[in-house]
Amino acid sequence: MALKKISKGVHAGFKEFGESINKIVNALLLSITYFVGVGSASAIAKLQKRKLLDLKTSKSKETYYQELMLSKKSKKDYYRQF
Amino acid sequence: MNILGISCFYHDAAACLVKDGMLVAAVEEERFTRKKHDSSFPVNAVRYCLKEANLSIKDIDCICFYEKPFLKFERLLYQHIQMFPYSLPTFIRSVPAWINEKLRVPKIIRKKLRYQGNILFVDHHMAHAASSFLVSPFEEAAILTVDGVGEWTTTALGVGKGNDIVLLKDIRFPHSLGLLYSTITAYLGFSVNNSEYKVMGLSPYGNMNPKTNKYYTKLKEVIDIKEDGSYQFDMSYFVYHYKASMPSKKLCRLLDGPIRKAEAELTQRHQDIAAALQLVLEEAMTKMLNHLYSLTKVDNVVLAGGVALNSVYNGKILRNTPFKNIWIQPNATDGGASIGAAYYAYNTILDNKRNFVFDSPYLGPSYSDAEIKSYLDKNNIKYTAFKNDKEIVEKNAKLIYENNVLGWFQGRMEWGPRALGTRSILSNPCNTKMQEILNQKVKHREKFRPFAPVVCEDDALEYFDCDKPIPEPTDYMLMVYPVKKQWQKKIPAVTHVDGSGRLQTVRKGQNNLYYNLIKEFGKHSGVPILINTSFNIRGEPIVCTPHDAYKCMMGTGIDYLVMGRYLIKREDNPQHIWDSERFAND
Repeated sequence: MALKKISKGVHAGFKEFGESINKIVNALLLSITYFVGVGSASAIAKLQKRKLLDLKTSKSKETYYQELMLSKKSKKDYYRQF
Repeated sequence: MNILGISCFYHDAAACLVKDGMLVAAVEEERFTRKKHDSSFPVNAVRYCLKEANLSIKDIDCICFYEKPFLKFERLLYQHIQMFPYSLPTFIRSVPAWINEKLRVPKIIRKKLRYQGNILFVDHHMAHAASSFLVSPFEEAAILTVDGVGEWTTTALGVGKGNDIVLLKDIRFPHSLGLLYSTITAYLGFSVNNSEYKVMGLSPYGNMNPKTNKYYTKLKEVIDIKEDGSYQFDMSYFVYHYKASMPSKKLCRLLDGPIRKAEAELTQRHQDIAAALQLVLEEAMTKMLNHLYSLTKVDNVVLAGGVALNSVYNGKILRNTPFKNIWIQPNATDGGASIGAAYYAYNTILDNKRNFVFDSPYLGPSYSDAEIKSYLDKNNIKYTAFKNDKEIVEKNAKLIYENNVLGWFQGRMEWGPRALGTRSILSNPCNTKMQEILNQKVKHREKFRPFAPVVCEDDALEYFDCDKPIPEPTDYMLMVYPVKKQWQKKIPAVTHVDGSGRLQTVRKGQNNLYYNLIKEFGKHSGVPILINTSFNIRGEPIVCTPHDAYKCMMGTGIDYLVMGRYLIKREDNPQHIWDSERFAND
């Protein structure tokens, strides 16, 4: 009984340890991806003066609506996730 | 033809089943997993839908998803690129979920449901628009969808005619009325994507005069609203486009203080901020709807998206705009978009004639008397049985009149966030202390929040200043109307501080037992109105099964539970009493 309890405890401990390692590795890999991938894309966008989000207010505009005209597309368009 | 509609991976996962154009089942995943606003893949909801229609997954012709995941991911990447390097923590937190599930929707659907057929993806705001228009009673209608954000769109104006929908114009992320409401909700110390309705309920305590409410003027610095209702934010007041939180320090300075802590006292300042937010929302919505009318020249309007749950504003639409008729689906938020995806596929993509009008929210699981009895017997629960419906109505109306709090579990569960008379807690609105009693015994909610009244449709105009004829969304508790002055003191528990009530109307034939119960209560009290509040433990979803209902009664102070034709008295079953408040987490 005691052995079973110890074994369960050890298993739970290892699981927690594994999860922590997983989190750390994930964070590390994602940070690298972020600085290399997102960072370089951001640098290119800044060099090209591209604004990917509309963050500047421009009150002089007559309207803030954008033309959308979204209607029925061909059936194959709906199989796509984009 | 059988079509499954699915929404998930953001909040309020849900599934629905459309069989030859008829909506045969629709339910949120949270009701099965018991996690409020559960966003996980709705495998239980799908299972239920199939069971209800007596189908297997092999009988499904098509599954429709409520958004285009890659477009949403594109928006997310753009946010990170634009906000580099400030968005690192959000990137680390959000990307694993995208890699593991959100970008693998087809694989997950095939794996979890063992499904081999077609999967269609409908743009998020198109799914919202379809969820309202295609199941509405209108052949032609103007359409307004307003929510937090879909792929890019946050607000869309469109028009529907027959099977077709055209979304004409939109406003795109990061500018979003829904996110503004959520930001102020967060600022006021309430949970985002959950407690926006609390802020709406708080607003009448504040100064609702735009000329004298200083926070209205301050919020107008945050949002610029044009005459056509289009709007844009000064994004320096927000951080939601690169952080997990929402208001910026600049917004806190503008609103004269830091973010309120959840348990801190609500002051007049907080109430005025809530009022200012409601005023700003109403101003933008009215201008938008007026513009939409000028674009479409159609008398009917349908709304969808989370903002369409703002019942305070919904009740003003027909009075403040040229529209003559309004329709909103009870589950106007993301869960309801599953219906939109399914109907867009059925009616628009596959070009089947519209043959369904949404007229009943009772689309969830039900339990027979035999199943309920079996549950009660198996668990040694003491109960009494009613002979027939007449006895159910008479006995329970009397119990409510005697100020007992009653759990009402009858028939198929409601679709959407509101309890509409099959999973409800009912009590006496004429008792001046009932709000306090309900809060003490069951709901434990903030004192500023009133309870909702339910009234038979044919009595509603006697007690409430409703639009005439009473719009159908009132059946789904989506419209707030003033309580007539002479009745306000007679039904204090359901009259808000501004004299309004978020009423539910019940039409004859819609839910007979419920309808008759309200009428019978009226014979005792002279006022055929009941308090109707959701049947749940604080922080949990509305009950679904007999077990959930019994557990809820025994964990709270509900006096009686009527399930099918069985009446259970809490006091008769002391062995099962527990304290739900010890575990409650709102």
